[in-house]
Amino acid sequence: MNDIIIEAHGLKRYYHRGSETVKALDGVDLTIRTGEIVSILGPSGSGKTTLINLLSCLDAPTEGTLLVAGKSVAGLSEDELVEVRRGVLGFVFQQFSLLPTLTVAENVELPLMFLGRRADPGRTAQVLQMVGLTDRASHLPQELSGGQMQRVAIARALIMEPRILVADEPTGNLDKVTGESIIQLFKKLASEGLAILLTTHNPAFGYEADRAITLEDGRIVKEEIVRELAVLLVN
Amino acid sequence: MIQNTSKDPFILRRYLSLATKNLRRRPVRTGLTVAGVALAVTVAVSLGGFMLGYSGAIDKSIDMLGFQVMIMAKGCPYEAATMMLKGGTGLLYLPGDTYQKVKNDPDIESITPIFVGVAQKQGSSIRDEGSASNFTIISGVDVPSYKIMKPWLTFKKGAGYANGRWFSADSRDEVVIGFEAAEYEQRKVGDTFYASITPNGSPEPVMHEFKVVGVLDRTGTQDDGTVFMPIDVAREYFNRPSQLTILGIKLKEFSSFKLREFETRSLKLPEVQVVGLQQVKNTLISLVSTAQTMIAAVAAIAVIVALIGVINTILMSVYERTSEIGIMKALGARRGSIFQLIWLETLMICLVGAVAGSIMAVVGSGLVERAIKAMADLGVSGSIVRITPAVIGYAVFGAVILGFFGGLYPAWRASSMRPVEAISKGA
Repeated sequence: MNDIIIEAHGLKRYYHRGSETVKALDGVDLTIRTGEIVSILGPSGSGKTTLINLLSCLDAPTEGTLLVAGKSVAGLSEDELVEVRRGVLGFVFQQFSLLPTLTVAENVELPLMFLGRRADPGRTAQVLQMVGLTDRASHLPQELSGGQMQRVAIARALIMEPRILVADEPTGNLDKVTGESIIQLFKKLASEGLAILLTTHNPAFGYEADRAITLEDGRIVKEEIVRELAVLLVN
Repeated sequence: MIQNTSKDPFILRRYLSLATKNLRRRPVRTGLTVAGVALAVTVAVSLGGFMLGYSGAIDKSIDMLGFQVMIMAKGCPYEAATMMLKGGTGLLYLPGDTYQKVKNDPDIESITPIFVGVAQKQGSSIRDEGSASNFTIISGVDVPSYKIMKPWLTFKKGAGYANGRWFSADSRDEVVIGFEAAEYEQRKVGDTFYASITPNGSPEPVMHEFKVVGVLDRTGTQDDGTVFMPIDVAREYFNRPSQLTILGIKLKEFSSFKLREFETRSLKLPEVQVVGLQQVKNTLISLVSTAQTMIAAVAAIAVIVALIGVINTILMSVYERTSEIGIMKALGARRGSIFQLIWLETLMICLVGAVAGSIMAVVGSGLVERAIKAMADLGVSGSIVRITPAVIGYAVFGAVILGFFGGLYPAWRASSMRPVEAISKGA
């Protein structure tokens, strides 16, 4: 079984601002495997979000190759990229982005609507249980705490059964204790075989990952193996 | 990849539900936009109802005259026709022998002479105070021929109206009263009716006392507001013993060719004109068509303004939800999904506005009718605003079609957003 989910070589992303070229990402090589947690650290403007956008097919690289689940995404149309994302990637964002008029369960089931699939209440209950929100299914987002909203966002990503969860600053709007609980949830999910790619400003959270990558000026300046990848061995 | 769920057969319902919930996030803004559409649809439905109702009212008024052709004194034929349809003053008269000269025309099936005069109701009514009308239209008729022309005329029955009948040709103190005139004057069979008639050439009116011998059932025409008496008596009281107001004629064969033939023969008579009632109808419609065009222009502007309001509202909503749309795309929404969602929101605003506007138009149709009648003399009796299911159907369909096209741009803008840019803009 091929356990490589994302494989990037020489990824570059340049922006043009007038006559100036901004090198947001300048040649990054990266591989992410099933069940591992990879954190991307670095100061603001180092290229963390740009890298995560490229790896999750939300943006196209200026140069380099990117394979998602073994498939090259170069030159794919927007709708083809949607298909790639649907099959492999789940997303969690810093600002939660739950629809305020939908209940927790409806928010979780929202991606299924875009897929034209019928929601399975059993499956919804299952993912809510995974994130510890079984008793909040009928609540509106405004009735939840920040940590609970982020858990709903995680459940919304999990309903699609992704192979990798991409989380951009998932603890950015949370206090330390709540942020820690989210990291622990990620660890639990990773132990069940889900790969997790997250960006964070907080080194303490970053070093909870299996692998911590530090970016500066669009380049990887440090890659640290934090702990042995037991999951890999299992596979 | 998700495997264990089946295709959702109710996917459109889910999109509709989400669109509804999105619109309810800004209830005031959505409400105002819906109100704009509703107002435009109210104007459009009322106008459509007026066009239909007015045409129908003219048809009915003309049909209920009972004759297809009128011979009357020279003058403005349409003013005269309008007067015949709804009553009025400024009457012109025909020489009395016109009847004798015309009645034996071979194309005539039936003919009835009518003398119309206007009497004052001084002291005759308990409602003669203030704004109440002080005039009564007196119609002198030849009962046998008038009944042939209008076989539907029947007498009101019930307590106080029993034994209603026509007067005899030489009865000098008996009248038959139309339905509305009787209601207005609160007169029943056997009551006394007073009319103050100014004889031709005399400066002073003469008070006459009549006995009401019959009250007619409602016809929805000018007959409802008329007081009838024998034609010779009316001519005598108005001191026009040898004059007529009109000759109502039904032809054996009514066609434009026969009408022209008849007109040619009749116009050899001095001081007369022949007016076909179809011609009157066309003219009456053309008289209000300018006003209708103006109202239609106002309605069109109202619809365009409402549509711009809808587009503006949806665009604002799209811009406010830029990040959300980006995240939906990240979660697996295709361009078509976002397009469908935003488009449905536009259609729903238009549909709800159209339904609300139609209800407002139906509820307010009486008010619109009174306003139109107060502003303009349209020359017909009865209801002039007729809002049918077809009128409402066209208005709702039109509003939805406008929403269909109006929603294209906001939906396209939303669906064209690149997810990475949309997410970062909202962050």
